[in-house]
Amino acid sequence: MGAFRIEEADRPHMLRLLIIWVILSFVGIVAVLQINYPPYDQTIQGQDQASTLKLLTVLATPVFVGVVMMILYSAVYFRRTTAELVDGPPMLGNTPVQIAWVAISAILVLFLAVVGIATLSSENVAQAVGHPGRAIGQSGGQTGSGTAGGSGAELHIQVIAQQWYFTYRYADYGGVETTHLNLPVDRPVELHVTSLDIIHSFWAYQLGVKADANPGVDNIFHVTPQKTGGFQVRCAELCGLWHGHMADSSGQVVSQSDFDTWIAQQQTDFETIAKAVPSYAPYYFPLPLTKGS
Amino acid sequence: MVRRISLVAAGVVIVVGAMVAFVGLFMLPRPGPLAGPPTTLHLETVAAVGQANEWPRPNDPHPDWVGYLPTTTWTVPANSTIQVQIDQEDGATGLRNPFWGKVFGTEGGNMHVTFFDDKGNPQESDMTSIDPTQAAHTFAIPDLGVFVPLLGVNPNAPAGSANVITFSFKTKGPGRYRWQCFVPCAAKTVFGNGGPMSTIGYMGGTLIVT
Repeated sequence: MGAFRIEEADRPHMLRLLIIWVILSFVGIVAVLQINYPPYDQTIQGQDQASTLKLLTVLATPVFVGVVMMILYSAVYFRRTTAELVDGPPMLGNTPVQIAWVAISAILVLFLAVVGIATLSSENVAQAVGHPGRAIGQSGGQTGSGTAGGSGAELHIQVIAQQWYFTYRYADYGGVETTHLNLPVDRPVELHVTSLDIIHSFWAYQLGVKADANPGVDNIFHVTPQKTGGFQVRCAELCGLWHGHMADSSGQVVSQSDFDTWIAQQQTDFETIAKAVPSYAPYYFPLPLTKGS
Repeated sequence: MVRRISLVAAGVVIVVGAMVAFVGLFMLPRPGPLAGPPTTLHLETVAAVGQANEWPRPNDPHPDWVGYLPTTTWTVPANSTIQVQIDQEDGATGLRNPFWGKVFGTEGGNMHVTFFDDKGNPQESDMTSIDPTQAAHTFAIPDLGVFVPLLGVNPNAPAGSANVITFSFKTKGPGRYRWQCFVPCAAKTVFGNGGPMSTIGYMGGTLIVT
């Protein structure tokens, strides 16, 4: 028994494995770079998430290829051919291999840490979590600070989850409530997510937003749509009988002029019920809570 | 060894089969589709299905549950106008979200309601919305954009009275569309959305468009 070392007879295997790994890793990285990663690029925040996912996939590809390659190579070249049960030779360590193994892992993890910290301190993430500047390294963040109304100003929308539907109140347009979510393109949006009854989760997949909707909680998220088109809204928290149907595929990112037309129509329609609906407020605890006779 | 493994496997099969059967048998019993002309729905809403005026279900497992009658599974033709009449016999509970006091998605954007005023006198009117605090139930098919609040019977109305709500809406293509009530009218559970509100056959069901 001695220290583990690569036998002379194993060197061809090592060389062969290295060549296969380099080639397959290259092919794999080229392949995964071709993928259009979700949640795509309808919003700036969604694009950030897609970029992060792409980076992680690229870094994971050589590791995945190496593991699968070793399993298959071993199964083909080192499979047991006799029926007798014997242990293989013991391996008691190899300092260069261990150093390389720890160093590569450390470099990968530290690189991802640097990328993560840089992403968290970016302006886009800062905006997504409601801080005016950098998301980390700066105190005194505030929310709901946009100027009301007008093209270009931040748009404030309350997302109201209820069993089993989402409705939306546009704070900057008299608190008009709608049954669908329409957003103007290239305009920052501040979403205030809350619930009327139990815990839901507002998931606008293509927008890159997934936010808990809790009763009595004003959960704030920011998005900036950068492409027109449709998007889906669904509940991502099991919430009862019709949870699976708590979805709406008619969300739209439209031009500012189309949005103005749409919201004007909603305001007209809303007039019939406006007096009965309470004034816009971040916290929403409407009555009643009891049953009639 | 083989015998023991066989016994374990058989036991697993029996237990899994029993669980599947239990769940399946629990889910299967439900009211059949509504009979009658395909473009007309005549429904009844009551505070207790065992005491309905038109289609009482005294032998129901939950005779004191609120519900739509005679069934909550309706079959209608695609791309057609559906005439609906709801005989609403329940008192007001009120909407949690007042927004649903507005009528959406019906032809003309309204509904016709015969009801009783505060003096118990019969009245009738076309309405585009109601006072949200006076809603007893709603008839809502979200995927068709249909939301209709149902006015609760005035406490001063004669005993056994019902408000009659009529409206029409258009179906889209074939499919199964869920419908539900948005009034938390079930009580006794978390804020009123449990029990009959969460059970097919009472305050939720399916519109089958063929």
